[in-house]
Amino acid sequence: MSNPRQASSASQTPHLSPAELSYLYTSLSLPKGPIRPDGRSPTQFRPLTAETDILPGTNGSARIGFADGTQAIVGVKAEVEKTVLASDILQQDVENDLQAPSDRRDGAESTPSAAAGGHGSWVQMSIEIPGFRDDDALPVFLSEMMRESLVGSVTDAGKGRDTEMAGGLKGRLVINKRWHWRLYIDVLLLSQPLSYPLPLLSLTTHLALLSTKLPKLKSQGEEDPFFDDDWGVAEHLYPRPSPSASATSSQIRPPVTLLVISVGDNVIFDPNREEISVADAVLAISITRNSEGQGLKLLSIRTIDPPSRLTQPGVPNSENLSTMAATGNSDNAAAANPSAGQEEVPGVWRPRRGGIKRSVITELTRTVLKKGGVGEEVLEGLEGVEV
Amino acid sequence: MNDRRRVNGPPGGTRPPVFQSGLQSSNPSDRPRRQRQPAELRKIFLKTGLIPSASGSAYLEFEPSASLAANRSNPKSMIPPSSALKLTCTVHGPKPLPRSAAYSPNLVLTTHVKYAPFAARRRKGHVRDSSERDLGVHLETALRGAIIAERWPKSGLDITITILEAEDDRWWGEPPDSHDASWGIMNVLAGCITAASAAIADARIDCLDLVAGGVAAITEDVGASHSGSGRLMLDTDPAEHASILSACVVAYMPARDEITELWLKGDSSKAVLDDGDSRQGHDALIDGAVDAARGSYSVLSEAVKESILNAVAHA
Amino acid sequence: MAITILAPVVEDVRQDDSHAPHGYADQSMSEDSDSDVEMGGVSLSQKRRPRDSNNLATGIMTPGEVVTDDPQWMRGHGTYTNPLSTSIIATVAGHIEKVNKLISVRPLRARYTPEIGDLVVGRIVEVQSRRWKVDVAAPLLAQLPLSAINLPGGILRRRTSADELQIRTFFSEGDLVVAEVQSVHQDGSASLHTRSLKYGKLRNGVFLAVTGTGGSGASSSKPKKSGSSLARDWGVVRSRRQVWTQQTASGGADVDIILGVNGYIWISKHVEGTDAASSASENVSITRMEEMVSSSIYSSQNDEISPQTRHEISRLSQCIQVLVQNGVRVEMETVQAAYEASLQVDLEVGDDEDELSEEGRDYLEGNKASRLIELVEQRWAKQEKIE
Repeated sequence: MSNPRQASSASQTPHLSPAELSYLYTSLSLPKGPIRPDGRSPTQFRPLTAETDILPGTNGSARIGFADGTQAIVGVKAEVEKTVLASDILQQDVENDLQAPSDRRDGAESTPSAAAGGHGSWVQMSIEIPGFRDDDALPVFLSEMMRESLVGSVTDAGKGRDTEMAGGLKGRLVINKRWHWRLYIDVLLLSQPLSYPLPLLSLTTHLALLSTKLPKLKSQGEEDPFFDDDWGVAEHLYPRPSPSASATSSQIRPPVTLLVISVGDNVIFDPNREEISVADAVLAISITRNSEGQGLKLLSIRTIDPPSRLTQPGVPNSENLSTMAATGNSDNAAAANPSAGQEEVPGVWRPRRGGIKRSVITELTRTVLKKGGVGEEVLEGLEGVEV
Repeated sequence: MNDRRRVNGPPGGTRPPVFQSGLQSSNPSDRPRRQRQPAELRKIFLKTGLIPSASGSAYLEFEPSASLAANRSNPKSMIPPSSALKLTCTVHGPKPLPRSAAYSPNLVLTTHVKYAPFAARRRKGHVRDSSERDLGVHLETALRGAIIAERWPKSGLDITITILEAEDDRWWGEPPDSHDASWGIMNVLAGCITAASAAIADARIDCLDLVAGGVAAITEDVGASHSGSGRLMLDTDPAEHASILSACVVAYMPARDEITELWLKGDSSKAVLDDGDSRQGHDALIDGAVDAARGSYSVLSEAVKESILNAVAHA
Repeated sequence: MAITILAPVVEDVRQDDSHAPHGYADQSMSEDSDSDVEMGGVSLSQKRRPRDSNNLATGIMTPGEVVTDDPQWMRGHGTYTNPLSTSIIATVAGHIEKVNKLISVRPLRARYTPEIGDLVVGRIVEVQSRRWKVDVAAPLLAQLPLSAINLPGGILRRRTSADELQIRTFFSEGDLVVAEVQSVHQDGSASLHTRSLKYGKLRNGVFLAVTGTGGSGASSSKPKKSGSSLARDWGVVRSRRQVWTQQTASGGADVDIILGVNGYIWISKHVEGTDAASSASENVSITRMEEMVSSSIYSSQNDEISPQTRHEISRLSQCIQVLVQNGVRVEMETVQAAYEASLQVDLEVGDDEDELSEEGRDYLEGNKASRLIELVEQRWAKQEKIE
């Protein structure tokens, strides 16, 4: 099927007829719970198959496939790189150490240098979607969105236990003051997406990062790094909880980005292409587990341009020339000026206009974040995957 | 093989000379501090219709921070302590779509956001990088909700924003990589939204409402008692804060009380709100950004009114 | 549970044409039809095994393979001959089909090739000055000339320039139409017409795209009884009834189903008026009828549809999806069987786990799919015996 994509929109618009759009919108906005075209409940995801460690040439990899045949593969590669520092940093740090901490209390505390905190640009993400150039809006937008939550997920210094992850992913990439890991996350969608690919890509990236291993460091301190060449002793990028740790302290995991739409008063997860094309609002919400292992933490929210704004409006019968039994002359053409009809006629599709009410945003985030909500269920589901 | 026709740089990288005075002024005591109230916004200069060849245009400028003004009168360093946003927005159209384009029942919006090469402290190339493209997508989302696109079928609208001076992501005196999250880009986006809305109104394109951008952030300040005490600030200048935990930008339509674009990032869970405020961190943050947008809306509506009055006076 | 993540399943090799991960190959098929399923219809050729050629015996051809050297055969679709030799060489992968002395290779999977008289569902992709371009899942877009539609106004009349100017009021981009193939051009593209009251714009329902009929003429030339196995062709096939009205359970109204030969399917609420017209009730004069119908034929306004009906429409569309994913042919009998089976599955599940799975109980594509298919097979076997 030919599928001309919008030149600029972040989201593809499938061409649906106004009658289809209207039918879908009414079905999805029913007050007693939406009727989705595929019968799923509003919070139900499409079943997917997942496997990890599929590519031997990578540090970590994963594949996720939907039943409809869309598949994503993510490969993670890590390289050692020299940390570029301004010349004065090292010196300054030394000075700081020499001086009494009380002297420059705030200076020492609040200016962590790159050598300690890591840098967001060390994580590179590229997304390849068939049918899109790599500088098209969609891949750029998606990769920025996913990278942002990845590097942004700084956990608190984890009470001594997992100090490796103190600075989040960025901090984990630091080897010593002069060397760091650079992480390349390459996301490949195997076929043209049949729906907005964000959940698929995000879940796959999550699993790939979980399975990522870095070789064990043998050098110490500020030496030039060298590594144990035994892959068997390699360490996970996201360290596993030690067996001795108590059951409550769960493992630190990469964040997950969920796609949520609102249609009428209903909140719907994992929308397929048809559903997203009638959405009033589309949000991408990134979450992760709180560092204490309890509850969820919000990392980012982004609105996505709902494709419903670009759709073709339906024409109500009262304004439709061809249904008014007009004899073909255009006397009443003025009546059919599409912009004249502003009021909603039931059964007639109107492209969505305007934005999201504040209360809707609260509702959407609440559904994701609440205890026992969808966010937790998705994370639990992912924890069930053997990595 | 060497290229003898041009002067090549040294094969390795070079380090910029570091002047003694610069090092001295990076003394933390010199860092600019916020002198506004938490809910007080910077003044905005906004004027429409500056570019006669475009069908609509606007120029927007943020008030320089107090420290910048102080530095101008009594310079301690050659390097200005902070920067203030300056940008222009031009709107071309509605104009017919190219022949090859598919039929569209709606106005087709394209947005370009470009930093001038000299806009930021680090030079930007002429080719748009991913952050600029990302900004363009955000801006498009913000505007598309406000424009009544079906009034202009089969036509296109180009919105081009040139950023002349960008907001800093951090205080320049800090180590360049200390915290790298690009917070300045959020202020830039808010400015882009406000300016673009003015320019669209100036181009007489049908809109549901003017749409204004606003930024709020949860900050941890230097000298704060201890970490874990985020305070909600509106219209933050990243140079004035030692650490920004989380920030949010919204595009807001006051008359409809709707948000067309929301971009929130960072950890908002550590926000310390007033007693009795039971909102969660991110909700407070979004509300703060909406308040900031309301503030910039007052400037926006005045600027649009002014441009109409000017047009009437000239007619 | 919001999300189901499955471990990857190594697909059964013998289940050659099924995308579905839900294996059912062994338990459900009756013995006699087994080989037929596995090899895509070998048994047909085996029954009439010619004595002269080995290739003819195995029945499965790959491109470039010599079908036969015997000059007595005439070459049909899917083959070519070298000018200097008498051998017939296959050009597609598929199985051999013979009609008298005509030998052709029928691809196991092919795109729709239009034939005169086909009932198709299509989507308007382009509006030109005097015609529409319609996507009918064929390699080329079909065209629908303005002169091939019924113009509104109650009388059969010539098109005027006014009609040309308001061509979008009849059909616009994205609209779905049901039409008939009027002629097929030299290049294989089709010309459609909607000059009947049962054709026209589609509304009040949902659209579904599945695989359509394969290589040209194959299914129509097929002996009728050879379709004893369900999995003979998959997707929609040319059959006696392409359009019917389905009575639904659980309080749903009657539902119209249009199976386009091209694999595009429309499931919509049954509207009374059209029935009177399409069954060409005797007491209404031709012109009267035109008037009656013209009021709705170009409408894009949906009627009011009850949630129960929407549920049943969603159920029907899922049934068809399940049939397609499991490689079962889609036609009136199978759809009806699947629909009844889905009701039965619901009852069974309801007994099993009571209110446990209120969430997503309408969703058929998961575990329920295999059970559903099993029931369809049983029903089919019974029906075969009766006949």
